[in-house]
Amino acid sequence: MATGSEFVFFVDLLAIFSVYVIVNLSLNLEFGYAGVPNFGKVLAVGAGAFVAAAVPGRIIASAAGIDGDYIADNLAMVPQINAWLADNTGIGFAVFFATLGMAAAAGAGLGLVTSYPAIRLRGDYLAITLLAFGESIRIIGNNFTPLVGGTLGVGVPDPLSFLPDEMRFPFATLGLVLTAIAVFAYSERLVRSPLGRLLRSVRDNETAAAALGKDTARIRMRAIMVSAALAAIGGALYAFYTGGTIAVAYDRASWTFWPFLMILIGGLANNKGILVGTFIFVAIRKVIIFFKDSFEGLVPFDIVWLDFLLLGAIMLAVLLYRPQGIFPERPTPTVRGAGGMKSTHRRPGARGILDLLFR
Amino acid sequence: MQIDPIFSDAVIFASLLALLSLGLTLTYLTTRVPNFAHASFATIGVYVSLAAIHVWETTPYLAIPVSFLLSGAAALSLYTFILKPLIRKKATQAILMISTLAFDLIIIAIINIAADYLARSYHIVSREFSLRSYDAQVSGMPLIVIAAPVAIAALLLVLHLVLKRTKFGIAMRASTENEDLAGTVGINVRLVYGVAWMLGGGVAGVAGALMSLWFQGDPNLGPLLIPSVFAASIVGGFVSIYGAIAGGILVGLSEVLGTRFLAGELGSWLIAYRPLIPLAFIGVTLMIAPRGLAGVDWGRLLSVLRRGRGRRRGKPAQDVGRPEA
Repeated sequence: MATGSEFVFFVDLLAIFSVYVIVNLSLNLEFGYAGVPNFGKVLAVGAGAFVAAAVPGRIIASAAGIDGDYIADNLAMVPQINAWLADNTGIGFAVFFATLGMAAAAGAGLGLVTSYPAIRLRGDYLAITLLAFGESIRIIGNNFTPLVGGTLGVGVPDPLSFLPDEMRFPFATLGLVLTAIAVFAYSERLVRSPLGRLLRSVRDNETAAAALGKDTARIRMRAIMVSAALAAIGGALYAFYTGGTIAVAYDRASWTFWPFLMILIGGLANNKGILVGTFIFVAIRKVIIFFKDSFEGLVPFDIVWLDFLLLGAIMLAVLLYRPQGIFPERPTPTVRGAGGMKSTHRRPGARGILDLLFR
Repeated sequence: MQIDPIFSDAVIFASLLALLSLGLTLTYLTTRVPNFAHASFATIGVYVSLAAIHVWETTPYLAIPVSFLLSGAAALSLYTFILKPLIRKKATQAILMISTLAFDLIIIAIINIAADYLARSYHIVSREFSLRSYDAQVSGMPLIVIAAPVAIAALLLVLHLVLKRTKFGIAMRASTENEDLAGTVGINVRLVYGVAWMLGGGVAGVAGALMSLWFQGDPNLGPLLIPSVFAASIVGGFVSIYGAIAGGILVGLSEVLGTRFLAGELGSWLIAYRPLIPLAFIGVTLMIAPRGLAGVDWGRLLSVLRRGRGRRRGKPAQDVGRPEA
């Protein structure tokens, strides 16, 4: 059972789901709560993945005394690194967590850079600038070989090498799920905190917030930096999970557009909606890929593009007919579990099945 | 006559960006939505060109009118079926921008399907292909090197005449200046905007059909071009078609020649950083002249410069910063 194809399918689904939950929650913090339309989300995610690809392998190679050029001899070096890591589990985990820290720092640094235009620009100009930032990371990663191996990509060391092969992915997935739960708990706390209310007040009426003495520029900057750091951790974890990074994988569709699609399906500025939106999206995609082979002969093109067509159409349909998503934004109670405010804002009869599931 | 290919590269790339940012500016003027699908309209033109050569077996220049119609129709349907209903429902600008991203994805999917179909049914290379060898030669030079700048000049002249001399042009300028007022005097604003979208998309298709004769064609062209196209439009000011042309030429020439020059000075590793040039243009423009080339008060700038040399002259300068359609 534990090695059956359904099990592998389920584990992979859960892993991708967790990575996207982390990225989507960070985007929700930025776009849903702080109102910054970050069309360059891929920048932070890619930065995290690039850190995971470029840094830990080099550190471990020099610690273990494995010679060679990390990019050119990558195919030979990464198995040696992994073999060494199997005997030095402690160092492996230390480097792993250090890498996550570095990814978060790189993300926060890029967040600081992005916040420079985000404080000064609004609406379309901001979106264009951020989109252009995001596009450039892939192009640079693709052309500048020493970073992540250019068009060939680069392997990422596996701190879980000590596990037998069939246990590796379930354990990695467990780690991803735990991280996603932690990020979810953190975002839920954050939006209920004074900072969360301040974010929404700046989003809804910046002038009013400024008139009440709030430093709106600073608050936007903080939201963007936290969000970018979280997204970078998501990107680094994804790189460790898949065991490799290639620049072309960090494109606008995968890490900017899909996250926007997921949070808009689920419901903007509603963390539970994000979980549902992410699940729907990941499930649809996984099912399409799962049945890919049975469709292959029927149409004269690669089935992947049907997936793009379908998801683009879903996005447009959601925007046109259900712009608030499955779960609309709700007033959040200040104290977790204080039922008073919730019940006053609930219309009788408005409880759907989904509401009951998530109460 | 032999010329260094880098100059052909520069001329054609600058023409391409000028045409793309012209179309983008035309559509932005109407709905105030930056259309992220715009560069993919050019990819449609590239594939029409490919089909013209390999499927219909004619000259690639016949692809130009077909691309105009196809890309124009794509832009028109984006406006009619998606943006117009969303605007009526009072969607925020962020939502409108996301809808253009979604539309971009659909176009990219259709182009990829077409590429797969062409490859499997006609056994031709439909990804990372070059059509350079199908171009005609004029006195030892590829025709496209002349055709691209001529296309810009012709389009600019036609647009200028249409906007300044025809009733439709006046209606369009009125609609972009003040939608409600234009509606009250009997202008069908939606129709005017629809035509503007059709024109904007069509021009992008023409740009694609032209560039296919020089640059490599691929379904992924749109995402590759989009930062440069937006940089050109922002440099141009986003509200003036003349600014858009100037911005396109400036960004296009700088990207090709600037990268070449710096790589010659500092080493070829620098070529990988070419995408930073449009980014730098966006950054610098927004910092020192946020309204772009069209927003700079050139007259006053000149008179300030002259005063600096102690030769102050005549009349106060005219304000050329007014948005022009």
